[in-house]
Amino acid sequence: MSTEQILSSDGIPLETSLKKAERKNKIKAMMLVAPLFLFILITYLMPIGDMLFRSVDDRMITKMLPKTFIALEKWDGKELPDEATYEAFYNDFYPLAMAKESGKLYQRLNYEKSGFSSGLKKTNRKIKTFEKNNYKEQFMATHEIWNEVEYWTALKNTAPNWSYAKYLKGVDLTFDQDRNIVEMPEDRKIYKTLWLRTLKVAFFVTIFCLILSYPIAHLLATLPMKYSNLLMICVLLPFWTSLLVRTSSWMVLLQQQGPINDLIVMLGLTADDNRPELMYNVVGTFVAMTQILLPFMVLPLYSVMKTISPSLMRAGKSLGGTPFVSFRKIYFPLTVPGIGAGSLLVFILAIGYYITPALVGGASGSLISNTIAYHMKSSLDWAFASALGAMLLTGVLVIYWLYNKLVGIDNIKLG
Amino acid sequence: MKKISKLLLALSFVLSITTSAFAVTVVSWGGAYTESQKLGYGDPTAKKLGIPVNWVDYTGGLSEIKAQKEAGKITWDIIDVYAKDTIIGCDEGIFVEFDFDKDFSPAPDGTKASDDFFTSMPSKCAVGNILYSWNYAFNNNNVKGTPKTIKDFFDTKKFPGKRSIYKDAMSNIEFALAADGVKPGKGGEKVYNKLLDDGGVDRAIAKIKALCEDPNGGCVFWNAGAQPPELLANGEVIMATGWNGRFFNAQMEGTPITQVWDGQILDYEYFALVKGGPNQADAMKVLREMTSTEGLAGSAKYIAYAPWRKSSIAIIDAGEPWFKDGKTSMVQHMPTAPANTKSYILMNPDFWADNQDEIGEKWEAMKAGL
Repeated sequence: MSTEQILSSDGIPLETSLKKAERKNKIKAMMLVAPLFLFILITYLMPIGDMLFRSVDDRMITKMLPKTFIALEKWDGKELPDEATYEAFYNDFYPLAMAKESGKLYQRLNYEKSGFSSGLKKTNRKIKTFEKNNYKEQFMATHEIWNEVEYWTALKNTAPNWSYAKYLKGVDLTFDQDRNIVEMPEDRKIYKTLWLRTLKVAFFVTIFCLILSYPIAHLLATLPMKYSNLLMICVLLPFWTSLLVRTSSWMVLLQQQGPINDLIVMLGLTADDNRPELMYNVVGTFVAMTQILLPFMVLPLYSVMKTISPSLMRAGKSLGGTPFVSFRKIYFPLTVPGIGAGSLLVFILAIGYYITPALVGGASGSLISNTIAYHMKSSLDWAFASALGAMLLTGVLVIYWLYNKLVGIDNIKLG
Repeated sequence: MKKISKLLLALSFVLSITTSAFAVTVVSWGGAYTESQKLGYGDPTAKKLGIPVNWVDYTGGLSEIKAQKEAGKITWDIIDVYAKDTIIGCDEGIFVEFDFDKDFSPAPDGTKASDDFFTSMPSKCAVGNILYSWNYAFNNNNVKGTPKTIKDFFDTKKFPGKRSIYKDAMSNIEFALAADGVKPGKGGEKVYNKLLDDGGVDRAIAKIKALCEDPNGGCVFWNAGAQPPELLANGEVIMATGWNGRFFNAQMEGTPITQVWDGQILDYEYFALVKGGPNQADAMKVLREMTSTEGLAGSAKYIAYAPWRKSSIAIIDAGEPWFKDGKTSMVQHMPTAPANTKSYILMNPDFWADNQDEIGEKWEAMKAGL
């Protein structure tokens, strides 16, 4: 074995010059991916990071009422705070009220304890007339929230800069006065119901999609080219149509005086004045979502079925298996990767759906994503919307992980 | 279909702001109402002042403008808002405070604006626009018998079938208490007193929940004013609460519906000027013109809402039949007509400005649990 170093023509060890050349290539390759990487970073990773950050960031109140929190540090929490604390609050709140910047405070504190909003709004209007000194008395005369220790405790509880309270709220839990985690009061419990409803809808839609897609995909894969092409267009055409158009079409079809109901009445299945309700309930949600998500199940199934050689089924039959046995023992196991891919796709898409259920689902059509949209657009509780979003994201990742454990992600075939 | 047309509208809006950068953007409730505003005073104002006026639809609330402010890019100039939102928006510095008599034109006879308007404004940031009513209507073909009272709206034994109600608690909990036996009293004071009592709101929400969960009843929530007449027309629901002008216009178009005037909520509607809007100076000019005597009277040609100015009412009275078809007298269809004000609740904006967050939480929880 020679230990002599191999040199390249210019005297540098070959290994070094090779590395150098490779590094150049690597940088070139990196440059090619850089636009995509930046794009993903800016439009995908950074917003998600920002969202996760928002869901735990709770510095706003401490920033808005700095003096109050300094004064509250010494407060024992048993009786109403002293005059100095009220004065500190006055000194914080008065400039905010004058600059008309106190709006965010009402909302944020009202999440902490119901009643803050009305109390602070009233205070906001009255504070201009406050006289110097005796702030405690004047506050207490303005609104009853200032007579209650609970509100001060709630205020003090917002002192930490980071909080996971929004995540607790997402599963119907909350903090009580002494920072113990307790269940929400009965008339505020919503989220467990919503999570279960969302999972239920996604689960059933996946099952329906699977049942409907399997034969279609099989036909697509086995029919002669000229028929299967036509069928493929039938599958793809709705896929290319806008989601809103399809949902609205379903609304036209499903309404009580709509064509489907007309048909049912015409066939004599039910009386004219007893038309079934196909919309504004869970039936409408299932029907519309299943139709809309169908292509996501058909396509992976098709691509897997296409690769199964027809001779395998023939072989099964020639070995004495009935069509059912050969299907169960040969064909079906071979399609499992497609079923897995399709189900995973449909389930994950269904779990985040909100326009369709909101339009055709009526009162029962409010799912967890509707709530996220509501908090983003209407209540403007972005922190809570972010927390719910993060929980949904975690849920999807958990499903992905479970799937990987049970079936193996390598077994997924998308085409 | 509504969503698509909204989408198209939004698209045309985006296109139109790129072409006419100096237009004033007015945000309102869409459908027949925006149409009445556009034809009644929007287009005439634009023509007179040479300032293009864009109309954009929304479904109420201050969250969108707050989000615009938060994002540092305000695109709206004038918003058509509920009274409670003028109060909240004024407190939070979203809207411009008016110098009322200076900012708004006097009546033709010289009466200053503050005297020409029926009452004083709920806040310094509001200028009155219309008086309307929240009432309910039913589909003549689907209801056996004739509902006459607000109690009948909740009576699923006598009138089985689905109802459509507003997406938010506002209006619903007032109706619920009135139907639950609380006598409204003068201007509905007693209803609001009851709502302020402990358990009053819970009682009202429970009544709505019972209606929605009743197998003979059931609710469809509406969020745009055009929906109630539409839901009634296509037979999706048998009764719907809504805005009287929308019902009136549907009736005029031949929809077989009847309005019920009992326990209805008389409410005022306002314009507010966005502080720091893209075109604030022009917007003020447009707003002054639109809320002039002729302006406000103009919109009543297209919808059964009462204008705010006494002088506008005088014009309409003198000009009857005022409706655009040239044969319908308007005043009798307005929510202020004596026949329509026998038993009404006057909307209390302070109640809603102060309590909407707390009530909203309970309301959303109820809705989510249906």
